[in-house]
Amino acid sequence: MRFGGLTAVRSVDFTVNSGEIVGLIGPNGAGKTTFFNCLTGLYVPTEGTVSYQGTVLPPKPHLVTKAGIARTFQNIRLFANMTVLENVLVGRHTRTREGLWSALLRGPGFKKAEKASEARAMELLEFIGLAHKRDHLARNLPYGEQRKLEIARALASEPGLLLLDEPTAGMNPQETRATEELVFAIRDMGIAVLVIEHDMRFIFNLCDRVAVLVQGEKLVEGTSEVVQADDRVIAAYLGEPFEGDPAQNEAKAAGTTKGEAQ
Amino acid sequence: MHTLPQQLANGLLLGSMYGLIAIGYTMVYGIVQLINFAHGEIFMTGAFGALTVYVYILPDGTSMWAAVPLMLIGGGIVSVLVAVGAERFAYRPLRQAPRLAPLITAIGLSLTLQELVRNFYPGADKSRAFPSLDATHSIGSVDITDADIFLVCAAIVCMSSLAWFVRKSRTGRAMQATAQDPDTAQLMGIDTNRIIVVAFAIGGFFAAVAALSYGLKYGNIDYRMGFLMGLKAFTAAVMGGIGNIYGAMLGGVVLGIAETLASAYISNIPGMQQLGGQSWANVWAFVLLILVLLFRPQGLLGERVADRA
Repeated sequence: MRFGGLTAVRSVDFTVNSGEIVGLIGPNGAGKTTFFNCLTGLYVPTEGTVSYQGTVLPPKPHLVTKAGIARTFQNIRLFANMTVLENVLVGRHTRTREGLWSALLRGPGFKKAEKASEARAMELLEFIGLAHKRDHLARNLPYGEQRKLEIARALASEPGLLLLDEPTAGMNPQETRATEELVFAIRDMGIAVLVIEHDMRFIFNLCDRVAVLVQGEKLVEGTSEVVQADDRVIAAYLGEPFEGDPAQNEAKAAGTTKGEAQ
Repeated sequence: MHTLPQQLANGLLLGSMYGLIAIGYTMVYGIVQLINFAHGEIFMTGAFGALTVYVYILPDGTSMWAAVPLMLIGGGIVSVLVAVGAERFAYRPLRQAPRLAPLITAIGLSLTLQELVRNFYPGADKSRAFPSLDATHSIGSVDITDADIFLVCAAIVCMSSLAWFVRKSRTGRAMQATAQDPDTAQLMGIDTNRIIVVAFAIGGFFAAVAALSYGLKYGNIDYRMGFLMGLKAFTAAVMGGIGNIYGAMLGGVVLGIAETLASAYISNIPGMQQLGGQSWANVWAFVLLILVLLFRPQGLLGERVADRA
């Protein structure tokens, strides 16, 4: 994926198996969100393709969703003026059918389908614990619940692969814990999960595998231990140590001064 | 004859017609932020579609009971095709262009449609007679015609179906979602291009309903009828809060009543004798628009702009 002369994401090969949680980390600007946008068809990749379950996906967001990939957003993007239940029902769009005439005439088939869809949406709201707020407007929910609702809305499209873009951004430690439990529960439903996150503790607790993206390229992929021990990853985040590092000299100098004062 | 109840009824009828047309402006604006200035012409072509059915397709002497539904279907088909065609061939290629480009296109399309009808529809350059329903009924001190009854019933049925459709049906929900955030709506699996087509089609059909009512009520149509009606309906949509379907209907009714009352009563005010009558009706309509926009820029039922983001 290139924007003008800038290559934002370059040949990232990636496999996520169902029932697996994979983390995607990397410093700011590494191309993590761009990668998600390519996967979901928001950006048309300059070169290359996205395949899911062996078939190449067309870069049309609604077809990607239909094929079974759902996502949440780094900045919450709920339908703010719709109720909690309506938000989830919109998520069910691809999994429901409706003819124009049956909708206008409100036939029995229409009512039945609508009921079934609503029941499924309510199950999801139970699952994330927002069933009691079904008729609240999404914009009136507290922040943490908005995040949860986004996950429910994504689950409503019955995905095989769920992409979470910084699901715990701005959350307090308890909320982060709760989100961890939620992601485990989603994995146990047999859904493959790919998480972007900056909270390393969250990532290493959660993920079976972690991939590190740096400057648009996949640097390392492996278990938490492998990634944590990799020097290149540390270098990407903190920079390389080098000879004559002024910070080290300063530290030495500070030590000396201290010694003299004593 | 010209009592206050009669004037209110006249205003309500005119307003229902404005409201039906205004729906087309407001739905399209709500979803693609485009002011479809060709909508008045979509209304006009609907009237000619209905007339074609009556004059060229139905045998002479068909009863109006049978003719009106068929004329509605004919007018509806023409208006919907013109509206959807405009979207597909004029507006969709400009979806990513700066806002002025589709606006200018809309004005061009509007003139094109007018000229096409003027040049190629027999007799359309002058006004053409339209079968009217002018049998009059008296309810108390109010006289209404069959055409008025048709208009009121059609407006009520159309508006309540639309309100239900948008709030409760799957496509309606997808429409709301697309209006609020098109990118996210796509990621929910909504084909936003299809939703936009549906919005244009509904607007087109409602314009055809209004066009048929117009013909039945006034008894003649011409190729310029869409200009002023379109402008007034647009005013109604803005006054009610553009993007809001209830606002469009309310704006239409308020505008219709205000216009009728102003032309009937303003000349009774000492010193304003010259400012009454039909010729000043448009002036008062736009004065009202200016006043509403001064004190409530978002329109009567409009949301604050910040809510849309």
